[in-house]
Amino acid sequence: MSHAPVRAAIVATGQTDHGRRFDASLAEIAREAIDRCLDSRGLTLEDIDAVIAGNMEMFEGIYLVEQLSVGALGALGKPLYKLNTGGTVGASVALACYHMVASGRYRRVLGVGFQKQSEGSTQAAITTVGDPIWERAVMAGAIGNFASMASTYIAESGVTQEQAAKVAVKARRNACLNPHAHLKMPDVTVEDVLASDMLAYPIHLLDMCPASDGAAAIVMAAEDLAGDLADRPAWVHAVATAHDQQYMGDSPKRLAVMRSLQAASRKAYALAGIEDPLRDFDVAEVYEPATYAELAMCENLGFCPMGGGGKLIDDGVTLIDGPLPVNPSGGVLSTNPVGATAMIRVAEAAMQVMGEAGEHQIPDVKRALATGYGGNAWTDVMILSAERPK
Amino acid sequence: MSSAASDTWIVGLGEARIAPLLDDVSINELAWEAVEPALQEAGVALADVTGAITASQDFWDGRTISSMNVNEVACGSFGSEAKVAADCVQAIGYACARIDDGDQHLNVVVAHAKESEGDAHTIELAAFDPYYERQIDPDETIVAAFQAGLLYARGGASEELSARVVAAARSRSKVLDAVSVADVLASAPTATPLRVLDRAPLMDTAAAMVVCCGDQRNKLDRPAVRIVATATRSGAYWRERADLTSVAQAGEVVREALDRAGWSLGEIDIVELVAPFAHQHLMLGEAVGLGGGESLVARFEQGEINDSGGWLAGSAGSVAGLHSVLAAARRLRQGDGRRAMVCSTGGLAAQSHHVVLLEAAP
Repeated sequence: MSHAPVRAAIVATGQTDHGRRFDASLAEIAREAIDRCLDSRGLTLEDIDAVIAGNMEMFEGIYLVEQLSVGALGALGKPLYKLNTGGTVGASVALACYHMVASGRYRRVLGVGFQKQSEGSTQAAITTVGDPIWERAVMAGAIGNFASMASTYIAESGVTQEQAAKVAVKARRNACLNPHAHLKMPDVTVEDVLASDMLAYPIHLLDMCPASDGAAAIVMAAEDLAGDLADRPAWVHAVATAHDQQYMGDSPKRLAVMRSLQAASRKAYALAGIEDPLRDFDVAEVYEPATYAELAMCENLGFCPMGGGGKLIDDGVTLIDGPLPVNPSGGVLSTNPVGATAMIRVAEAAMQVMGEAGEHQIPDVKRALATGYGGNAWTDVMILSAERPK
Repeated sequence: MSSAASDTWIVGLGEARIAPLLDDVSINELAWEAVEPALQEAGVALADVTGAITASQDFWDGRTISSMNVNEVACGSFGSEAKVAADCVQAIGYACARIDDGDQHLNVVVAHAKESEGDAHTIELAAFDPYYERQIDPDETIVAAFQAGLLYARGGASEELSARVVAAARSRSKVLDAVSVADVLASAPTATPLRVLDRAPLMDTAAAMVVCCGDQRNKLDRPAVRIVATATRSGAYWRERADLTSVAQAGEVVREALDRAGWSLGEIDIVELVAPFAHQHLMLGEAVGLGGGESLVARFEQGEINDSGGWLAGSAGSVAGLHSVLAAARRLRQGDGRRAMVCSTGGLAAQSHHVVLLEAAP
């Protein structure tokens, strides 16, 4: 993004150990991620100019949660923004961190996404995404939504339940390499996925993401600081956002043809000079709340031709040792604290670029893609690179 | 922290109706009531808009992702919208960042609230610590009453002075009846020492403005006002404040914005203070450096501060700051001053503070 007055890079990341966290309050969870993020670079809150927080308030039922948690967020006396944009919120926070630095407003911005879904009803909270008059009465959280979308996708693309199950297996096995992941299932098989409870056809229990407690944080820094703060900063080369129409019925093929993902990714690709995504990215962390969604997202992101998502997983292209690993962290299917989930995608992509992903590190990552996805088919895209933008 | 000023311009203003109950429109329609005239004033179509920053609260809309209600009318399908859950003055700061870094060149900033659809006590109760506070059933008015009681006990402020702030606001209101100081003091008690008229009433409304970069402003060639600087800062949660009457962050955030602009407070011609309770205007005025007590209240009465009437004259959460920005921008366009400052506050007992500085086009 050569037009930005200030180049910006992610220089630090931190995550909680996600799962059912009955040992910590919501604020403590946020602070745990912040401390791990800052400690990783020897930073303190004194080094932070502004804080941007993301949380979906309806999940825990705390209105103005950033104000209640201002001390834990390290934002007392500082600029404190709270975004709540749904499933995307963590990515929306990361994008806001970028804009605040790139515009020259602040030089080091802390972004944090946090959620403790064990303290609320995930299904009830997600149901309030629906229009109160037209949608809520027939909505049952995310599962029904994805069931209808996956049915359409199956009919449209010919993808099979077995191919979707392979995504579940990939995710839960990758998660075993990630110390922060919630669901780790080293021995899970396609047969296990297909034999798991049917939630709403064609979605089996293991086709869906869990409801997790957790938080993730990043520090975004201006170009003159980035090199001092990290040996290998994850430079932001492009960001983009797009939404589809509000009502589900306005976009009947919402999973097969993800118009907002196409719009946002193509804008970001143009900004970052991505011509062939399969070739040009070394790793991708995509926001896949359900197995079918990952297959469709790979198609809509241009990793394969439209309708080719099933073959992509059959061919092993997106496996951790494949040509383009998708979600080596285990993805949303293994960890899903909603307010943090998209931030985890960004943080994991940054870790891959910085060479700090541990056992799930992909060798020699030069360019990584992170996406966020949520209600309204809201899509955020961020492209990170080891190379400083020109 | 950078001291760079912004190069963002306001080129269109729009307001929806303001009323306690607007049951003839949905939230989408209410937002469009504000966005449509703003686009018309800017001379642009919805398809020209490259993005939007919105301000609203999920709890008040009773909807997770409350901006889903408005993003189609703010920037169209496949537009780029982000939502700030705070008073819209803070959202303006984010919009400026996206303009200044070149990501966007023509944005809509829109705030909405349909407070008639929510239950204020239930919603405000949810802002309190769920472990230690909710059992005693507090709300925003009760905490504001603690604050007002301490403020009045400290001296320099009183129920009468607060009542004069209300009367001054209502005398300028376009949607609420004028009231006298005696009316305020005779209105029903809510939480001692506060009365019904000490708090801005709940309203349904929306407001919008079109902002753009300098190049776009030149192309549009419309009456424009420059957003020179923005700043925001958060104070401590109400229970953790040693002095609930202190809003030191309000003064700090104004100084930060003035530093960014390279201005002094004395160079400001138009001042708008945005707060939901009358006594908070006294606190903010003093913290910002506008004086205190009798002399400060006189400035409200004379229209030197809050010529628009401010939130007490009729607005809503998330929207109130933008209403004041619109009022200040209109005055600047009319030549009624060269520089303006809008300071808004939000949260329990005025916890967070946001500032925007505006300047008339040369």
